[in-house]
Amino acid sequence: MDETVAEFIKRLFLKIPMTEMMTILKAWDFLSESQLQTVNFRQRKEPLVQELVLLCEEKCASLNDAALLDIIYTQVHRHQKLWDVFKMNKGPVLTGEDIDLFDIEQFKSSFTKILRKALKNVTVSFRDAEENAVWIRIAWGTHHTKPNQYKATYVVYYPQTPYVFMSLSRLKRNTPLLDQALMIASKHHQIVKMDLRSRYLDSLKAIVFKQYNQVFETHDSAAPLQETSLWLHTNMDLRVIHENKVEKERVQRVTQETFGDCPQPRLEFAQYKLETKFKSNLNGGILADREEPLRCLIKFSSPHLLEALKSLAPAGIADAPLSPLLTCIPNKGMNYFKIKDK
Amino acid sequence: MEPANTLREDGECKGGILAHLERLETQMNRSHKRFEGPQRTQAEESTLGTRIHKLRLLRDKLRAEVKQRQAEIEASAASTEPDQTLETSEQEVLETKLENLKALLQAYHFTGLSGKLTSRGVSVCIHTAFDGNLLDSYIVDLVIEKPLWIHHHSVPVFIPLEEIAAKYLQTDVQHFLFSLCEHLNGYAGRKYQADRLQSDFAAFLAGPLQRNSLCNVLSFTYKVELGGQSFLFCARLLYKDLTVTLPTDVTVTHRGTDALSTSWEEQRVSHENLFRTTSLHKAFTSFAGGEKLNMSLPPCYFH
Repeated sequence: MDETVAEFIKRLFLKIPMTEMMTILKAWDFLSESQLQTVNFRQRKEPLVQELVLLCEEKCASLNDAALLDIIYTQVHRHQKLWDVFKMNKGPVLTGEDIDLFDIEQFKSSFTKILRKALKNVTVSFRDAEENAVWIRIAWGTHHTKPNQYKATYVVYYPQTPYVFMSLSRLKRNTPLLDQALMIASKHHQIVKMDLRSRYLDSLKAIVFKQYNQVFETHDSAAPLQETSLWLHTNMDLRVIHENKVEKERVQRVTQETFGDCPQPRLEFAQYKLETKFKSNLNGGILADREEPLRCLIKFSSPHLLEALKSLAPAGIADAPLSPLLTCIPNKGMNYFKIKDK
Repeated sequence: MEPANTLREDGECKGGILAHLERLETQMNRSHKRFEGPQRTQAEESTLGTRIHKLRLLRDKLRAEVKQRQAEIEASAASTEPDQTLETSEQEVLETKLENLKALLQAYHFTGLSGKLTSRGVSVCIHTAFDGNLLDSYIVDLVIEKPLWIHHHSVPVFIPLEEIAAKYLQTDVQHFLFSLCEHLNGYAGRKYQADRLQSDFAAFLAGPLQRNSLCNVLSFTYKVELGGQSFLFCARLLYKDLTVTLPTDVTVTHRGTDALSTSWEEQRVSHENLFRTTSLHKAFTSFAGGEKLNMSLPPCYFH
């Protein structure tokens, strides 16, 4: 086994937390059951990793096997990467040719060929995932240097849909090539970057495919929807009277209509780039009479932005209904906005 | 009258005379009254009589008024009766309309479409079925606004929902729903066939069944035995129409270098026709020697 491969595998094992070691090894399915049984998983990490690397050497692990292990690790720790969303278009559709006869094997071979043709040194690996998604890992090299296995790009593609999710590549110069390979292999004509970015791949998927993890108002059950608001019900003490009860109920209703009852997809920020003229109620002031638009950037950050927005009006911090610029985020599939005067 | 009292001691004559006069006076007064009584009662009688007469007149007048009013009411009641019959007939019409609509909704339910009102619009549930089996259900939540838009749904990501919505949602909702229904039923049928092939007939397959998300490209290699010989055939099924459950293109090729004998060539062609006309699991059932499928039957299409 190549030294670089051994080193790469060793570093991968060191990254994996001890609690996940067994599950990841089983998913990798490279070391056999009998081999794994000889390993003592209760020892400390460094000696354990050394044992595992030795076993891999015995079985002559290749670079592709190591790349597969890397994919599995990333699939489990997908929130460690920041994901961008891209949408592909088919372009002008000729009648009779618009049905996507997607063949995964054709896609994989076509994709790999295009990359290999352009760059001699590139490692491409594929792994199928849930819901027919295919994870692609690309380690980039150049004509003269070997691929850098530690800065791989990840692409998650849902075949027969126009959407692709990519982890931000630090090696930006390869992006045009990657885009082209994707387009040609999947028979699309155009790829456009959406203004949507987050660490939470599953939330991005839910937004883009308009599928939320939720209990739909099922057609069979007559059970009433869960009460999501606790504001009106926390104090059952009869000595406490809720002022503005009507207003509070209105706010609850408006919030429920805008956001729904289900848990919101998880985003960490929303960014608004404003290029609008300054509007002020005060007469005069330095900024008031400027003809040029004022440029400023507003960024909302939160561990869970949409849930935070949902709780603004019930908490009394903002008026209901909230500004459509805030509430349109899941429906429009954007969390980067550029706002100009019309 | 004191002298009368004082004179009693003197003799009864004086007291007597005044008292006598008094008595006579009172007698006279009483007899006057007796005489006046009948006169008075007579006057009273006559006044009462006139009063009675007046009252009788009043009574008759009121009676006449009451009768007249009653007659009026009866007349108007008679004229409103035809209105009431009109109301009942309208009600009947509405009731029959309602029954028809309910029956229509139930009929739609059998086609797999059912709907429910939500706070903002309509939630449509599409049930899919194939070959007598009820398969998955999918929900689409529509918000009734101008323009109509889809709030969320449980349709799989590879079904071209956006395209179908772009074509029909704004102009013809019914067409949108039916088109979506066709796509989902087509997908469910193809998926069912592919799943059945993988699970029930794995023994025939030499290698995994290759399929894509929409199950509209299926390729597999399978073993065929005929008269002691066994060959490997590769089949590639393309479903170019997403609403169908039978392939539009079938190619069966022989895995191997030597050319096929005529009998094997016939087999190959018959297999191609079989895949084109029968669902996948039924075709394999016939290979397993189950039902002998009569190739002369017209092709049946499952939706």
